[in-house]
Amino acid sequence: MLEMKANHLAVKQQEVWQVKVGREEQLNATLQALIIKRDQLKAELKANTSLQNLRTLLDKTNAPCERDVEDMENGSENSQTLLLMARHTQLKDLLHAHHLIGGYNVLLTKGKGVCVSIATAYEGLYLETYNLEINLQCKIRISRHNIPPFIPLETMVKQGNMQTDIRAFLDTLSQYLNAYVGRRQQLHLVKEIHNSVQVMESNALCTILVLMFTVPGEKARAALCTLEYNDHTQCLPTRVLIESEDTALASSPQWKKDQALLLETPVHRALVTLKKKGSIA
Amino acid sequence: MDQSMKRTLQRLIRRIPFQLLKTTLSKWAHILEEDLLLLDFTQPKCLFTENLLSLCEGKGTTVKHITELEMIYIIENPNQVMWRAFQLLDAREDAPSIELTQFKEQFKAHLTELNSHVSIKIKKHTDEAVWIRIAWGDNFTKPNHLKPTYAVHHLQTPYVFVTGLTVKHKPLLNQALVLTTRYGSIKDASLSGRNLVAIRDLLMRQYQQVFPTKHPKPLQEKNHVPTNPNIEKEQIENTENRLQMACEAFGDGTLPQLQKAVYQLETKFRDNSNRTLTGSDEPFRGVVEFTSTNLLESLRHAVSSGIASTPVTPLLSSITQKGRNYFVVTDKGV
Repeated sequence: MLEMKANHLAVKQQEVWQVKVGREEQLNATLQALIIKRDQLKAELKANTSLQNLRTLLDKTNAPCERDVEDMENGSENSQTLLLMARHTQLKDLLHAHHLIGGYNVLLTKGKGVCVSIATAYEGLYLETYNLEINLQCKIRISRHNIPPFIPLETMVKQGNMQTDIRAFLDTLSQYLNAYVGRRQQLHLVKEIHNSVQVMESNALCTILVLMFTVPGEKARAALCTLEYNDHTQCLPTRVLIESEDTALASSPQWKKDQALLLETPVHRALVTLKKKGSIA
Repeated sequence: MDQSMKRTLQRLIRRIPFQLLKTTLSKWAHILEEDLLLLDFTQPKCLFTENLLSLCEGKGTTVKHITELEMIYIIENPNQVMWRAFQLLDAREDAPSIELTQFKEQFKAHLTELNSHVSIKIKKHTDEAVWIRIAWGDNFTKPNHLKPTYAVHHLQTPYVFVTGLTVKHKPLLNQALVLTTRYGSIKDASLSGRNLVAIRDLLMRQYQQVFPTKHPKPLQEKNHVPTNPNIEKEQIENTENRLQMACEAFGDGTLPQLQKAVYQLETKFRDNSNRTLTGSDEPFRGVVEFTSTNLLESLRHAVSSGIASTPVTPLLSSITQKGRNYFVVTDKGV
């Protein structure tokens, strides 16, 4: 009976010992995994700090030489990659800042191209956003856009030499679009605010505006004012012509001053001044 | 009012559907309000036509008045005729600065130079469109007012929409348009349809296009069919992707009501189960035609619901990207 008990105890001891070994192995494995993870995180942390340091260096000097980089890295092979990564983050932040100040926003699209969004605004009011999808594969070309057809996009592409200087092309396009939107907004405000002024003619690009005023006096006379915007990148007219059946009216010094005013101030504000002065009803 | 004028007026009245007759006539400056009240609109059309003819005769109607009425009718109801789009190419320096009076004078001058026996009428509509009506004649006949050509042009855009143009007069009209608008040449834009507003909106991109943005607002499908919420949750990423691709290809919101797209195939037959056709060197000529009350809407729905595979095949997306609805598909491409 004692032998049986001894055997029984031996078996039990074996079992406990095996469990203990199993548990030890398990704990060892967990330990190893955690050590690997810690090393990984340490490496990531190191890379990030060196990246940040590189970035501050880049922001300051804008062209760090290899030696500075090597000094910071203590001769690590990853210096080139880190430099590129730092440049990448700098560029992304620059783009974001540009977008915030109302410039254009550039996004990478799935098909190896970029989508540029040009925001337009006039007098503090954000108006439309125009988009261009540009294909960068072999030759830079515009694949899709929502720019209205009366803006001469093809001429701008040809003249601006989009292949070499895309920045200049985008700047010109942005100027044209902002000017167009500004002129259109002025026309909209004139129609909304000034009910006594009749819009006789306007066109899609808003480069010609013909308004009819009523001049107050003993007998109300009509005067026709033609505003020509020959510079399509500007919101102000290049020529103002005032005609009336009463020829003396058109050549009076008061109207000459009003003509000058219309050349210098946006039309909706100029009309307010003219009304205050009493030149028009 | 001589016989030919009477006939023209008769034909015109007969052409106008009865429901639109009253509104069209009320816009005609030649007939005054009192005269309009005298006319009995409940009469059968032939009697009504007779009455109207006698009224017009009494008022001394001329060809000018009749053409004015026709123009009013066509401008108000452009969907009664078939329009073709043309595109002007190679803008010259002063193309963007053409304005209305200049256009009118120059067009009349150029066209009469090419063919002096034409009757031209130009009118500017409220939406910046210039409507031109041309009645053609030749050395032996007076301008034929029964078969006029209408052309619609938006100044400073390179597009012209034409209806009723015969092959004989096409080069004359093209030449006059090219010279007046200061472009280098004109070509057929391969876009035609009854709905003038739709083809104009398609070409001039006046519908809401969708571009990839930094902070995309999730697009909502207009008619959302309620399904099992669990399925929706699982499939949400795929559905959003498909919807985004569909909207990028075709647009968001209300789309131009295009009704037809025609693909003329000139590709080789490639089905191994049919030996006779596969072996031949000649391309297999076939025509695939898509028709719908609103074709773009249906295509967009087909893509967003998964019926058509994504990414959207360029054969379908070319309808909106290139603004055409007639394609010739060869082995090399569209």
